[in-house]
Amino acid sequence: MKKLIVMALFSVAVFAKVNVATTYQYLGEVVKAIGGEYVKVDVLANPRLDPHFIVPKPSLIGKLRREDLLIINGGQLEIGWLPPLLKSAHNKKINAGSQCFVDVSRVVHMIDKPKSVSRAYGDIHPDGNPHFATDIYNIIPIARLIARKLEQIDAGHKAVYTSHLKRFEQKYNALIHTLAKQMKSCKVHKVVQYHELFNYALHANGIKSIGNIEPLPGISPSSKHTVELINLMKEQKITTILQDVYHEKKTAQFIADKTGAKVHIVPHDVGATRDANTLETFYKSIAKQLCQ
Amino acid sequence: MKKTILLSMATSTLLLHAGDVKALEKRVASLEEALEVSHKRIDKEKIDEAMTSKNNSFNQKAFIPDISLILNASAVSRTIKNSTYEGYGIDGFVDKIDEIPVNKNRGFNLNYAEFGMHSAVGPYFDADAIFHLSPDSFEIEEAYITTKKMPYNVQVKAGTFKSGFGRINAIHQHAQHFVVQPLVYEAMFGVEGIKDPGISVNWVAPTDTYIMLGAEVQQGSNELSFGESDSLLYVGYIKGGFDLGDYTTALWGTSIAKGKTDTDKDSTVYGVDFTLKQTIDSYSSVTWQSEYLHRDRDNVKQAGFYTQLLYDLNSNWEVGARYDALTKNSLTHTDDLKKYSTIVAYKPFEFTKLRLQYTFDDSKSFQNERKEIHEFSLEYVVEIGAHGAHAF
Repeated sequence: MKKLIVMALFSVAVFAKVNVATTYQYLGEVVKAIGGEYVKVDVLANPRLDPHFIVPKPSLIGKLRREDLLIINGGQLEIGWLPPLLKSAHNKKINAGSQCFVDVSRVVHMIDKPKSVSRAYGDIHPDGNPHFATDIYNIIPIARLIARKLEQIDAGHKAVYTSHLKRFEQKYNALIHTLAKQMKSCKVHKVVQYHELFNYALHANGIKSIGNIEPLPGISPSSKHTVELINLMKEQKITTILQDVYHEKKTAQFIADKTGAKVHIVPHDVGATRDANTLETFYKSIAKQLCQ
Repeated sequence: MKKTILLSMATSTLLLHAGDVKALEKRVASLEEALEVSHKRIDKEKIDEAMTSKNNSFNQKAFIPDISLILNASAVSRTIKNSTYEGYGIDGFVDKIDEIPVNKNRGFNLNYAEFGMHSAVGPYFDADAIFHLSPDSFEIEEAYITTKKMPYNVQVKAGTFKSGFGRINAIHQHAQHFVVQPLVYEAMFGVEGIKDPGISVNWVAPTDTYIMLGAEVQQGSNELSFGESDSLLYVGYIKGGFDLGDYTTALWGTSIAKGKTDTDKDSTVYGVDFTLKQTIDSYSSVTWQSEYLHRDRDNVKQAGFYTQLLYDLNSNWEVGARYDALTKNSLTHTDDLKKYSTIVAYKPFEFTKLRLQYTFDDSKSFQNERKEIHEFSLEYVVEIGAHGAHAF
């Protein structure tokens, strides 16, 4: 009998999956690709909503309570919604600063770091622009970090994670190559966007963002700013407006009507738009929307 | 690594002409020289810096806690004179109010400046302190430590804190959706709610739906329901939440607070609450929240409730309405005390809130005479410094 119990316990331990929570969908996709059948992934944020203001639903507390590993985007993107959830979940394993709390912004070279920080400039991110997920070049270092962490906390399946990482790197290096080639023929060199969501993707492809529809980060569009933007776009002959799925689209449409520019709905995360339902199609869709 | 370099150097030597080797040697030599110069310069700079003794060996700036300051000021128009309003009562519940912390006067009010600090104490505890400063008082609103490393996902809190009783007792005025808290809370616990020194233990169940159990022991000095005596106040609650699809969330709770009055008589308050939130998009939602409290204090049975509906139109505007009523009072048989509130809040930025509230209040008595009150208040709340994210 004792033997049976020990065996049962052992088999549970062997087949137990690592419970991983990721704040955003794209991180969940990476964990699934690296962890395969040995991980169970919960994604906290709904990709159709603003990543800065996720509704801190009580059901998320129940999830966080059981996780073995928490992977966040970082760069203060989650500061407005995750801390109270973590506090309520009382899960010492995944609190900030613990071994099983991973902030992927640490492996990304952050751009747009403000030289001076004050809320007079709007809702700025003091560590730099946290929307690095839109640039495919960042996904490989992120995947490496996640693989290392999975290898560390679930050493029994180290070989599996290592081989999955290798496959991931091959796949995404090939995709980087394909998209880079495709972007070479891109005729778009200047764009405007609603919020500075796509700077990393633009930067990587040599496209300039010359203005934002919101006058300051986190401040709703004003008529004065909109008129200025329209004049600037006419002057510089800009025909592309990059719009995310979660902000109001009326202002972008109004500007498009006045300038003859086209509004492109660009996904900011996997699952934000219908054709960006996987990590691969997410990057393909961004490339397509930037250069249409 | 060294081997590879040597090997590659050897192969490259074989492949290169003698002239190329010489040129390479020269370049290596000049690089080494440059490196040495730069090292020396850095060393010299460091020594120069150390010589000035302008170093901050004992600088502790990195350990400054998160600090925040919240300001609340208002302009009020009311149909009752200030001198009369000061001593209002609620028939059968409150004889004469002690203090009015928000919107005390017709005309202008600086309601408060709330100063908050938060930091990790070490690996085992966090500490929080909130100081409430109003024109004629300094008050420790809350000051407590919370554990970080307890086993079985248990969290213990100790110090002075707002009790987790009910849906809103623990929520501070600036984070509530109406200017003053619901009538039933004011009638049973006073404007401050249940707040005392004590200890609380919380546990979250490892289930798919959110279930949280809490137990508290507090000093129990709340004058309206319990009172200064040697017996403690025991509070217990179960709270839960579940999602109905991606955009609809429900939250429920049941609470009990059991203590003694100042004459050592039993006093128990029961509460049930329910909240339903429909998210429309990132910036707009509709929330319906209701709460019912029942009190049995020395065999006097009293009850009341509120129900409120809030509509966030976009990131800038919110409108809401609340209905308050005290429905049961076995002492004075006044069961028709009512209050209606409507509010429009404008938030030009995340940390700035302007709210205009109209209240029709038919629950207050002035020297045992009921008087209807009409009130308009325009209030601002701003937050500077570290900003704690709001819970659900």
